[in-house]
Amino acid sequence: MQEGRPIPSRQINRELLSTILNSPKWFWIAVVLLGLIVLGAMSAAGFMVNKGLGVTGMNRPVMWGFFITNFVFWIGISHAGVMLSAILRLSKAEWRRPATRAAEILTVFSLMTAMLMPLIHTGRPWRLVYWIYTVPFAPYDYARGIWPNVRSPLVWDPSAVYTYLTSSILFVLVALIPDFAVLRDRTAPPTSGHSPTLTHRIYTLLAMGWRGNPRQWKLQIIAGVLLSALILPVFVSVHSIVSWDFGMAVAVKSWHSTIFAPYFVVGAVHSGVSAVAFAMIILRHIYGWQNYIRHEHIDALGRLLIVVATGWFYFFVMEVIFGFYGREADELAVRDLQFMQNPWNIWMMVFVFTTYFLPVALWLPRMFRRNLWIMSAACISVNIGMWLERFIIIVPGLQNKQVFTFSWYTVYSPSAVEWTIIGGTFALVSMLMLLVARVAPLIPLYDIKEAEILRTEVKIGRVTVPAVYRED
Amino acid sequence: MAASESEHLHHGTAHGEGHGGSSGGHYPGMWIFPNPRVITRDMAGKVASMPRGFTLALLASGILLVLGVVGFVARAAADGFDDRAPWGYYMAAFSFVFMVTSAAPVAAVAFRFTKSHWRRPLSRVSELFAVVGILNIIMFIPMMLILPPIANPNAGHGNGHDLDIRRTIWFEGPVGAPHAWDLVGVIALAVTALFILWLSAVPDMAEARLTARGFRGWLYRRLSGHWYGAKKQWQAQKAGLALMGAFYFMTLIFVQFIISSDYAQSMIPGWKDSIFPVFYSLTGFQVALGTCLIILYIMRRWGGFQEYYGKSPFWSASKIQLGLTLLWAYHLFAFFITYWYGRLAVEQNIIKYLFTQSYGGLFVANLALSFAIPFLLLLWNPVRRSAWGPPLAGLSAAAGALMFSLRVMVGGANSGNIYAAFLDHVPAAAYPDLWDIFIVTGAIGAAAFTYLLATRILPLISVWEVKEGALYQRLATFTPTGKGEYLVLAKPE
Amino acid sequence: MAKRAILGLFEDASYAAEAGDALQRAGVAPTDYDFLTDTPYPEGAFGERHEGHKLYIFPLCGALVGLTIGILLTSMTQMAYPMVQAGKPILSLPPMAVVTYESTMLTAIIFTIIGIVFESRLPSFKQGLYDTRITEGYIGVLANVEETQLTEVSTLFTQAGAVDVVRENQAPA
Repeated sequence: MQEGRPIPSRQINRELLSTILNSPKWFWIAVVLLGLIVLGAMSAAGFMVNKGLGVTGMNRPVMWGFFITNFVFWIGISHAGVMLSAILRLSKAEWRRPATRAAEILTVFSLMTAMLMPLIHTGRPWRLVYWIYTVPFAPYDYARGIWPNVRSPLVWDPSAVYTYLTSSILFVLVALIPDFAVLRDRTAPPTSGHSPTLTHRIYTLLAMGWRGNPRQWKLQIIAGVLLSALILPVFVSVHSIVSWDFGMAVAVKSWHSTIFAPYFVVGAVHSGVSAVAFAMIILRHIYGWQNYIRHEHIDALGRLLIVVATGWFYFFVMEVIFGFYGREADELAVRDLQFMQNPWNIWMMVFVFTTYFLPVALWLPRMFRRNLWIMSAACISVNIGMWLERFIIIVPGLQNKQVFTFSWYTVYSPSAVEWTIIGGTFALVSMLMLLVARVAPLIPLYDIKEAEILRTEVKIGRVTVPAVYRED
Repeated sequence: MAASESEHLHHGTAHGEGHGGSSGGHYPGMWIFPNPRVITRDMAGKVASMPRGFTLALLASGILLVLGVVGFVARAAADGFDDRAPWGYYMAAFSFVFMVTSAAPVAAVAFRFTKSHWRRPLSRVSELFAVVGILNIIMFIPMMLILPPIANPNAGHGNGHDLDIRRTIWFEGPVGAPHAWDLVGVIALAVTALFILWLSAVPDMAEARLTARGFRGWLYRRLSGHWYGAKKQWQAQKAGLALMGAFYFMTLIFVQFIISSDYAQSMIPGWKDSIFPVFYSLTGFQVALGTCLIILYIMRRWGGFQEYYGKSPFWSASKIQLGLTLLWAYHLFAFFITYWYGRLAVEQNIIKYLFTQSYGGLFVANLALSFAIPFLLLLWNPVRRSAWGPPLAGLSAAAGALMFSLRVMVGGANSGNIYAAFLDHVPAAAYPDLWDIFIVTGAIGAAAFTYLLATRILPLISVWEVKEGALYQRLATFTPTGKGEYLVLAKPE
Repeated sequence: MAKRAILGLFEDASYAAEAGDALQRAGVAPTDYDFLTDTPYPEGAFGERHEGHKLYIFPLCGALVGLTIGILLTSMTQMAYPMVQAGKPILSLPPMAVVTYESTMLTAIIFTIIGIVFESRLPSFKQGLYDTRITEGYIGVLANVEETQLTEVSTLFTQAGAVDVVRENQAPA
């Protein structure tokens, strides 16, 4: 239930549209700085394309390194959007309201960034042109008689990711229509004598003539629930299929595990929701949204994260136990590398500590959940851990793929090119989030306003308990 | 909400029938707020009475229980406990009863944790399964006798392909594994569930201790101790329920893990399937929630509880049911695609054994009952909003869970040499004989019999929770002149 | 005679609901008045007419289309390139299920979006009588009435508690 005082509609408009109507001064400085990092990453990628994959640390047998780790990581982050907006919408959790939009937009940008990674990883990204443009909209080289291999998880993967990306973009856009109408009205010329600005014209076009009558609102509400119910199974399928990129492989020991799909999905939700909690804290701080992103919301996210983290830990334990259960020599060799040998054993300890024990310890006391610094630290910790998790799954498995390899090289060590590109992806997502905050409200206005009109109170003796009106 | 002066069962008249629907507001019959003033007295009457339907149900389940004992004795006399194969159906019966009864209290625990008001009429129905936990312990004792030791008794005597130590989740220890540890798990679970039931029922027993007579009165007085509803006692009770609930949930996941691993997965050589314990737990949650809804429906329809159970528990639980049904299919596919794609000989044999050939029929029935039927039912809003839809889906899920238990447990018991390195052939299916049928139906009858007896000790409603719910919920119009009635729902911190 | 639009602006939901009741009493058909708000009010809060829709048909149709496309695409491409891999059958059903599932969901979602836009009667760029104060929290009660009734409705709005009444071809106050 909601804490705090009721906020009038006009104030909600003014405060939540401030990022668009009165952009703060630091905005462009931040965008330029992040843009420079992205430019650096693009240069590194260009250098790699020019010189070849030899400039990375990858070599036989470890041919999937930082890029694929980062791909899985960003796909994981993308799971926050639907997790928060769909599950919490379906369960009618009141505290979802300020979190949904930012989470959905984070989904879109992290998915786009994730898809860049395999593209860069191919070393010849221009091959994409062959795939896409030989036959319009047919994603394969039909003209040369090459057909998509439906039996390969590497084909399932883009089909799932593009489904999720398309769905998420449409989901965000549909929910934005009423807010675009607010922007249309706020950018309207003061009197009919003035000619409308270009901004007004654009928002008029985007609002599509929205008026806000009961029919439109009814459909908007049903749309939220229906699309949530439809996107949820897609969201589950995406990370499952990413996990099957690994799980289908029999040759790489430790990958061929039946639990990989839900294990990856829960891990993705864990890292994604942590990322959203962190993003909300940042938004609250930089835009002064204390009235909207309140301690109660971060607290609720913290409680949810305890459950998600513990669920994740259960899957992790199952995965490890059944790794040993088979007692097959080649798999035990990989487990030995992960748990016993330097530096992997150190990474393993850091991973488990930062993903589970540290953040959960921080989330358990209510006092800590309501401290934004501690919450930020916990959420960053989870994401460091989850990044490491993917790295620990991918590289040791590949390193022990064959007994004899062509190379004498045994330890994968990422190069500066890889570090730069990875760093660039974080800057890219941050920059895109900032840019979108300049054109669309990152907190859904009508959702917040709905909470305001639905809020009420129930008096029990001398206590007043916050309450809401509900239709069922 | 001000207390109604009239001693009518409903708290005021705003119980929903005839309100809302298409013109806005809540749906008809969704929410019912019973009158707190008469609920205790009414429940005391219900728990003491022996209606004809109840007596018949008790008799029927009692007969099944006796047949089950006959089947068990006959099986033991004919086959002894040395070979696990003849006991496949007993293992399946235990697994099914354990799956339902151990997971059922989670409905109360979990939705109390999420502070969902709709759980209130459901809480006691689910907690009362704790009593059946005692039956789980009794039924588990023969299970210990059936389970082969981890170390191969014939190690070093001839067959070089066999493992010296078979694959289990216990690896090479600890002492007493797996038998003793499995028993400890089952006992811990039953004791915790009983403790939760007691803690939850203390306020109700205290309220009824002065009016209840005979054995019930004696028991209420003994078990309710010095409870007089002081603030401190309520705080301790709620904290205790939360803590024990969390502990119960974690213990349950662990016990489901060891039971499913020891009695199904480890029984089939080379079956290495990390998702299986999760799948087993999911099946348990699906069937347990379904069973609670079936009981809720029966009591609403025939047990005189129509004044207490609105449609909201069905409607709210149906969304969880739908989620569990989808998750069930998802986990199944996650297993299947990995094994199908891997195409190792052992993987193909296990798919043929448990899914397509030997137990192919059971698998199809399992898939239809656990997934297809509940999914197609629960997909529709009008079905989910009805009182019959979710229990019907629950009934299907219950039958599906039975098929599942039969498939994996009978399959596990009849897989041949347990110390073999891998399942190198596809064993034939084992069909039940008369004693097996007695055993399976008897186990279900015994669980029903125990549960029915438990309802004579505690009524099927958590009185204090329903009363508490009435404080936080009411029906009101949105504007003074508004047409529809809406639910006003408050949640304390 | 052509109908003319008139818009009353209210600060309070009860006043807007009363204005709706008054319009009904004055003989204005429920299809001739509407409530414009900046946030979804609970259904029936203003005593407004029931709005039916056929949105649920859209995802079903979409799913059927996607399912068909998925089955055709995956089966035909497998048959067109008949190379056995790791002993899997040429027409492998489990992998087909994965891609078909995605195509089913994708088209179901796209059709749902089309359905939402269509059923919301969007886009509709001829906006008609409107006031930007609606997105600042005012509740608009928009009535389409005969020209002769305009004054009566205006008085009725004011009596119900409207803070402003706007007519067509009149600049908002």
